[in-house]
Amino acid sequence: MPNPAKNNVTDSLHRALLSRRGFLGDAHTGLLGISLASLLGRDLLASEHDKVALESRAPRQLGNGKLQFAPRAQRVLQIFCPGGASHMDLWEHKPSLDKYHGQPLPGEENFLSFQGRSGNLMRSPWPFAACGESGHKISTMLPHMAQHVDDIAFVHSMTSKTNTHGPGCVFMNTGHVTEGFPSAGAWVSYALGSANDTLPTYVTIPDIRGEPPNGKANWSNGFLPAQHQAIGMNAQQPIRNLHLPSQVSAEEEADTRQLLELLNQHHAAQHPGDSELQARMESYRLAARMQLSAPEVTNMSGETPATLHLYGTEDANPLKAAYARNCLLARRLLEKGVRYVNLYCASRASGVDGLLNWDAHRTLVSDYERHCPVFDQPTAALLTDLKQRGLLEDTLVLWTTEFGRMPTHQAETTGRDHNPDGFTCWMMGAGVKGGTSYGTTDEFGRRAEENPSSVWDFYATVLHILGFSHEQLTYYYNGFDRRLTDVHGHVIHPLLA
Amino acid sequence: MPVRELVCVGAIVMLGWCLCGPASVCADEVPAKFFDEQVKPILVNRCLSCHGADKKGGLDLRTKAALLQGGESGAVIEPGSPQESLLVDYVQSEEMPPKKPLSDAEVAILTRWVARGGYFPDEPLDIFALTTETRAGYDWWSLRPLSTVLPPSPDEIGASWSQHPIDCFVRAALHTKGLSPSPKADKRTLIRRATYDLTGLPPTPQEVAAFEKDQREDAYDRLIDRLLASPHYGEHWGRHWLDVVRFGESRGYERNEVIDNAWPFRDYVIRSLNDDKPFDQLVREQLAGDVIGPGEIDVEVGTAFLVCGPFDDVGNQNPEQAAQSRANTIDDVIRATSEAFLGLTVGCSRCHDHKFDPIRQTDYYSLYATFAGIQHADRELGTEEQKEQRAGQLAPLTKRKEELQKEFAKFEGELTAAAIKRADEFVGDWLRPPASRRGTEEVFPPVLARHVRLTVDGTDVNPAANIRYRIDEFEVWTSERGTSEGPSRNVALADNGGQAIGKNFVAEDFVGAYVAELTIDGKFEPPWIAAGPELVVTLAENETIDRVFFSSDRSGAAGDQFIATFVGEYQIDVSLNGEDWQAVASSATRQPVTEAHRNKRIVEHLITDQQRQRRADLTTQLAEVDRKIAEIAPLPTWWVGTFKEASGPFHVFVGGSPQKTGEVVVPASPSVLKQATTGYHLAADAPESERRRQLAEWITAPDNPLTPRVLANRLWHYHFGTGIVDTPSDFGFMGGRPTHPGLLDWLAAQVQSADWKLKQIHKLIMTSQTYQQQSAFEEIAAGIDADSRYLWRFPPRRLSAEEIRDTLLAIAGKIDFTAGGPGFRLFRYMQDNVSTYLPLDQFGPETYRRSVYHQNARATVIDIMTDFDAPDCAFATPRRTETTTPLQALTMMNHSFIIDMARFLAERIEAEGPPEQGGGESAPAKTAAQVRRAFELALARGPDQRELNAAALLVEKHGLAALCRAMFNTNELIYLD
Repeated sequence: MPNPAKNNVTDSLHRALLSRRGFLGDAHTGLLGISLASLLGRDLLASEHDKVALESRAPRQLGNGKLQFAPRAQRVLQIFCPGGASHMDLWEHKPSLDKYHGQPLPGEENFLSFQGRSGNLMRSPWPFAACGESGHKISTMLPHMAQHVDDIAFVHSMTSKTNTHGPGCVFMNTGHVTEGFPSAGAWVSYALGSANDTLPTYVTIPDIRGEPPNGKANWSNGFLPAQHQAIGMNAQQPIRNLHLPSQVSAEEEADTRQLLELLNQHHAAQHPGDSELQARMESYRLAARMQLSAPEVTNMSGETPATLHLYGTEDANPLKAAYARNCLLARRLLEKGVRYVNLYCASRASGVDGLLNWDAHRTLVSDYERHCPVFDQPTAALLTDLKQRGLLEDTLVLWTTEFGRMPTHQAETTGRDHNPDGFTCWMMGAGVKGGTSYGTTDEFGRRAEENPSSVWDFYATVLHILGFSHEQLTYYYNGFDRRLTDVHGHVIHPLLA
Repeated sequence: MPVRELVCVGAIVMLGWCLCGPASVCADEVPAKFFDEQVKPILVNRCLSCHGADKKGGLDLRTKAALLQGGESGAVIEPGSPQESLLVDYVQSEEMPPKKPLSDAEVAILTRWVARGGYFPDEPLDIFALTTETRAGYDWWSLRPLSTVLPPSPDEIGASWSQHPIDCFVRAALHTKGLSPSPKADKRTLIRRATYDLTGLPPTPQEVAAFEKDQREDAYDRLIDRLLASPHYGEHWGRHWLDVVRFGESRGYERNEVIDNAWPFRDYVIRSLNDDKPFDQLVREQLAGDVIGPGEIDVEVGTAFLVCGPFDDVGNQNPEQAAQSRANTIDDVIRATSEAFLGLTVGCSRCHDHKFDPIRQTDYYSLYATFAGIQHADRELGTEEQKEQRAGQLAPLTKRKEELQKEFAKFEGELTAAAIKRADEFVGDWLRPPASRRGTEEVFPPVLARHVRLTVDGTDVNPAANIRYRIDEFEVWTSERGTSEGPSRNVALADNGGQAIGKNFVAEDFVGAYVAELTIDGKFEPPWIAAGPELVVTLAENETIDRVFFSSDRSGAAGDQFIATFVGEYQIDVSLNGEDWQAVASSATRQPVTEAHRNKRIVEHLITDQQRQRRADLTTQLAEVDRKIAEIAPLPTWWVGTFKEASGPFHVFVGGSPQKTGEVVVPASPSVLKQATTGYHLAADAPESERRRQLAEWITAPDNPLTPRVLANRLWHYHFGTGIVDTPSDFGFMGGRPTHPGLLDWLAAQVQSADWKLKQIHKLIMTSQTYQQQSAFEEIAAGIDADSRYLWRFPPRRLSAEEIRDTLLAIAGKIDFTAGGPGFRLFRYMQDNVSTYLPLDQFGPETYRRSVYHQNARATVIDIMTDFDAPDCAFATPRRTETTTPLQALTMMNHSFIIDMARFLAERIEAEGPPEQGGGESAPAKTAAQVRRAFELALARGPDQRELNAAALLVEKHGLAALCRAMFNTNELIYLD
């Protein structure tokens, strides 16, 4: 039923991709097959012209000419380490911290950060080592990640608008510090649609330790239609309501679906032209296919022992083993054509700072000695595996966190407080120039100094690699054509291959 | 969209006519008139966006003085000499405006203007003065006063479509599109449509039958009257309003703590609609209920509107960030207010003047000043009399309590004083150092043990507490005698087979978070957080031990912070069988950790039986008083906000940053409606309550055209699925244009003349032929107007999430119509510093109430509700999306709620039984009757033969519940004609 309250996908696309004023409305697109194609937001752009029915398995071209640039990536893996992972203890070497350890941070002696007063400068407890041909130094706490440094493009000059976890995570994921905006994954689902017939377009894999700060707002579809929301699953928890209830036999299910089809066909016959009815019937068929394929994707019994060992899925540390299985799940989802995967390593704030996530306020050493081993090997294995399988050719990998940490220790502790003024994120894979670093913080790691970059710049670059201008990928909501990059953002060209 | 395009094209065409016509014809117009009519539109339209406030190139064309002064390149006009004027040169050479040059006619006008002396009025040009191609001005359609419109009566309107004013408007618009309306829908369709529309529930089979049978002329009117009188009307339409005002029952952001006392606002909205409270009154109560009805709980509760949005309460120590967070909180209130009541996106003016609407940044900060005193908090509600009465009842009890507490303190003080006097006598008993967070060691004679127990009788911060201490590692060492055993070993370690048991605080979503096992994992971080006084470590086998060592902060990083709270007083016992215990060490011979601990020890030593009795008596008496205090009913304390005087001066925040204060502002009406309404300006020190009251008065003033327009459009939106304006909270330039501008103004006037009582407006709309049309698809009409914005048919719609859930409950005969009060939950709420909401897998009968009574927490995902587009209330939702996803199918086929409801419906049908026909009844006949009943209950119709046969087959094979599950999944159930 072509009802404008649906904010239907065609409409959105027109709004998004054509000039508002230039579009004079093709009334027919609302009627013909568009609802079918809009299920799961699948290949929206293609469907607009081709009216591709879901049954058709013909290969689809990404974006089908609606892209503003030649796309380099077809899908995205975003690894998120919530809690504010320390840039100067993981990714950006700051020799001056060794040199001036124990001395006040010049000019900021009285600075009040999130939890209050800071003490003096504090060196990183771990040495840094040069890696690969690029010689970029990262912490020796990440020995497995070291092998990928030549493929990584670091942005060492990231900045955030907020020093608080909730808004920070939401900002890093949606480009806005307040709740309610669509996440990057939802935008990409909206922009590119699905590339598979049996799995969701956008999947979020929360950590076994729980949800990140601000929970589900991090993978919300915001004001985008609900089909762009992330489906939550991990190696420990399947998609909700995927399985047939125990009371219902396979035969009963088949007979029930048969009757349902008959009743719906009957009803549809009395409502010719209302394609929404066909769309809903198709959604039931799709759900049935998903019931078959989703358990397949989570079943890792077909993986070789070498692969399992590479990831560490049987590691004695249960947190590491759980995260490793999620890493493997991420690869399997990407392989099957899931467009955007959010993979979380760690979770929320708790009764002990830094226990469940990277928020090392008081005990940096013990916190990171707990988190780094969980993160290092499985993540590195995932990257290796993607590379070996050729998936990195058209998969963009992002590593993100909501902010960095202070170069000083927090008063009366051996941890570091939040620092939104300078931190590191990185990307690698499709379209990315590996072995590069963009921007730096000052000599202590306190503030972005060279080429300060924003979350918006980061996503402008991501969208560019996916073939979109971040200024033209828009959706109208209450007074404004909204964007992932708000009203900001510049593509960081030096990161591009 | 096409409509908007038409309007735009129209505007351009008209502009063209204005420009070309007179410019080439008239020669001798008055300079002021010529300027106003021809020059000003070009300057405002094409020049001011750069050469106004932005002063690009140093050039400002808003005032005469600035124009004559010119820009960085010098003077831009030479009055009387166009060929020497830079401005003319630039526009002729098409250098300016840079993207789209002026038309020849426009260039000619500017040239002539300069040639004729370059008249410029004394008052400055205002970029907001006129609507242009790219933005709205004060003359924007929605900002103009309501026009007095009469329903059109062209000849084309047939008799049946000329009776009702709404039909006249709709029919006339259809005619211009070459469309005609659809015939009237049948009675079954009408009662289903109207019942869902007004109550969100399906009609019962009896109601359908009765209406179909009712041949009275006013049967339909009676139906509408009955539905409007139903208490379910307020529940359904109340839910609409709760969407619009982003009503949520958790705080949002990282902590997102649930709010358990916000539900009275939900009940208030429902009650107000059921009572047909004038809507302007409802608006005033929501903005200033505490001011206009102090002490009236039913009025004061309205202010929950102000504080039911999300806010960040994490507590930032960084002052700049804390100020930003506060600004975000007020921003939510500004946006909610301007969008819900006025359809204005004032929020877009936070960092700069609005890019598309004539809303100044100063307007935003005038509202900021208006709301600056709002605190998101509970407020005790009641009349002065009630408050006094309660205070009167409490006074003697609190007095008695204070006396007892004083007495108790005095008594304990004397005990302590006596203890202090004799402290020296005891010092000799305490020779060992006090327990230390960094590490506390107990060495004792070698003893054979299987179990080691720590019993805590006071933490190191509070001698009276025995929980909430932490232990990062607890070591049990074997004796080093017996050389064969080698060096001493820590046999408590889990790696050595040790086990640890002790109650811990729980993080429900991460089971291992604070467990006792952390004391024997060989790592100092993280610690066990104790929820009980005991830790028992069981060794793998009997061992000869002579030492334990334990700590809460082995690294010393935490110092004296609460996060390393440790034991103060303790005892250590060992046992071989876990039943008979032998004490091996205690803190009794250590120095006390604080003076309070010391005094407690001495008091316990010196206290007499008589004193013990006295202490017990006082404790009993205190408990008794507390019990009596608790018996006095508290006044309602609800989440309706508190209000502090917020004194100015108030400033614009330049670029939205609280650190960059700009122009001074006062609480005032937004200038956006300055041409239509009588505004107000208050002094910077006007009382906080006065600011909100004035705003409420202004929003509901008879000359405010937006409030009734926006409200009338919302009603239309919910009745027809799309408003006359399809962006119900945005009547600005970026929003939709009205499909029926005359009808909108007429309807808005009806709202005002009905004294803002909505029930008669509902009836007005629903008794139109427009509303009663069929929804049948018509290919040719759809080719012209696919979405039926012009209403050539009644637009079919899908039920909302709430309607779907309530429908299943109602059909299954399980719906619990208990109205009001605290909400139910379809999630499990967990709190451990931050909150987590997990969707329930099983819904119990306590959840079988109408969905509007669900506790509406933010950032939750709820089966059925979220699947079917029930919004997260982080933002207002002026219109819901309507999506179709496979997740809906998974939920509707597989969630236990569906299975439960299918079973209940089957049981209901079985229990109600077939109509008695006497004697034995064949199985097929019984099945057929059951199938018929299932169809009637679910779809308000009987099955046809084919449906009957297929359904009966399923019932025979798999039982009635299988059919019920299938019925719940039919399109017909959730799509409404």
